[in-house]
Amino acid sequence: MISVSNLKKTFDTIEALKGISFYIPQGECYGLLGPNGAGKTTTISILSTIIKPDVGEVIISGYDPKKNPLDCKKNIGVVTQEIALYNEFSAYDNLLFWGVMYKIPKKVLTARTDETLDLLGLTDRKNDKVKTYSGGMKRRINIGTALLHRPKILFMDEPTVGIDPQSRNLIFEVVEKLHKEGITIIYTTHYMEEAERLCDRIGIMDNGEIIAQGTLDELRTLGSTKESVVISYTNLTDKLYNTIEKEWKDLQRFEDTIHFYSMNIQGDLSKIIIMCNEFGLDIRHIDIQKINLETVFLSLTGKKLRDK
Amino acid sequence: MIKLVKKDLKLFFGNKQDMLLTFALPIIFITLFAYVFRETNNSEEGDLVSLVHAVAGTSVFMLLFSVAGIGGSLLDEKQEGILKKLLCAPIPSDHILFGKLLFANIISIIQLIIMFVYGWLVFGLDIMHHLPSLIFMIFAIAFACSGFGVVLASFAKTRQQVQGFSSIIVLVMSGLGGSMIPLFVMPEIMQKIAVFTVNYWGIKGIYDIFWKLVPLTDSTFLSKVFVLLCIGFFLNFIALLMFRRNILKMV
Repeated sequence: MISVSNLKKTFDTIEALKGISFYIPQGECYGLLGPNGAGKTTTISILSTIIKPDVGEVIISGYDPKKNPLDCKKNIGVVTQEIALYNEFSAYDNLLFWGVMYKIPKKVLTARTDETLDLLGLTDRKNDKVKTYSGGMKRRINIGTALLHRPKILFMDEPTVGIDPQSRNLIFEVVEKLHKEGITIIYTTHYMEEAERLCDRIGIMDNGEIIAQGTLDELRTLGSTKESVVISYTNLTDKLYNTIEKEWKDLQRFEDTIHFYSMNIQGDLSKIIIMCNEFGLDIRHIDIQKINLETVFLSLTGKKLRDK
Repeated sequence: MIKLVKKDLKLFFGNKQDMLLTFALPIIFITLFAYVFRETNNSEEGDLVSLVHAVAGTSVFMLLFSVAGIGGSLLDEKQEGILKKLLCAPIPSDHILFGKLLFANIISIIQLIIMFVYGWLVFGLDIMHHLPSLIFMIFAIAFACSGFGVVLASFAKTRQQVQGFSSIIVLVMSGLGGSMIPLFVMPEIMQKIAVFTVNYWGIKGIYDIFWKLVPLTDSTFLSKVFVLLCIGFFLNFIALLMFRRNILKMV
């Protein structure tokens, strides 16, 4: 459905994309995860036919965006990072306008506009001007404008930036519903929990390159990341720590916690607790740190996905 | 393209501030200039010349400000991400520009009609006896000015920059072109420089209609219409090039 091969793009002296390649079959939700400046938006802009690549090939639904941009555009819906709406228009009028831009017949458009407003939970506010909406409501309408023409492929460029948890959950539900309906989705984000929840496969981007891609489980096996049991204590002395270290080599001591690393945390958890009890460690709290995209990203790039 | 124009018209007529600046402000200026120029002349012909100059000078001057604002709206749409989204829609990208130019033409024509009707109703400017010539001239001036705003917008990055540029350029063009000081009182060298401005050809054309009473078919009048159309084609062509080269690349 989407095939990208050796895509390169340079803006002045900045190499935004350094030859990325990926393939997304029909109906898949593919996440592009990476920090700001990784090249996610440039990738989406090329796939949306807004900008042309310097090098590389893109095929979308069988069309080359360079040769058949209009055919490509008919098959794709784009949820831009910016809230691209007319603030002086109502939500209903905004949807009508964008529907007209996609040449949807008037009767069909009216029905679809109502359906879309219902899907987004905004039917009761449909006649209010968009300028009176909250950020989350605007984001929802922004998504709605990309759905009216029933695209086969949906590009969502950080659709949940700066919104409340309620709107975020509603957007997740919408994405999940669209995914179930068989729409191919490319979802860019720098929130790993979104990618973990929504995407079948994830491409991790950094500095214009895809440094790893695969399912969440496949990504978890990458790098040198291990799971850990984190135990908070009240009475750890150097002597006690040395005794524990003789029994469990792969551990690390922090201010008031010990991290016990393991490749099989489920199997080793009880062993660790029994051992600590035997040595008289006064356990205050136990936490299991599983491998997630954040730790995978840290392991692969040596930096955090986003600034906290 | 028509849908884009409809959208722009709906936004424009829904915005009281834009309406006030485009339609009410020129009327205030015409009134002001008409009285000021009238005070400097005592003859009957002098009164007519003052009135014609007030209407002609103000109309082109104010029109240039209006189209600069319309060009600025392209940059607003770019900043808000709307231009990007329009480029994702299955419409040729040039239609976005042509829609804006058509919208600028429509607003310009409405603005000019309002100014001439005001001159007729309040100051007795005889537009009814010169209607065909006036219609030609209104279309020619509107067309000549419409590309101006987009050309300006393509050199700027934000609407604020357009406002800054446009204020300076419109004031200079209007000063040189005869919108503020009547062309016939300018020194010869200034009148020669004035031919490089839209204002000059528009004002001269309006002089021909109301003051010199030149018929529609006269070559003197038609030559001014022709020059204005050429300026229009030139500015629209430059606007298209700059739109493709600068504005689309900034998305």
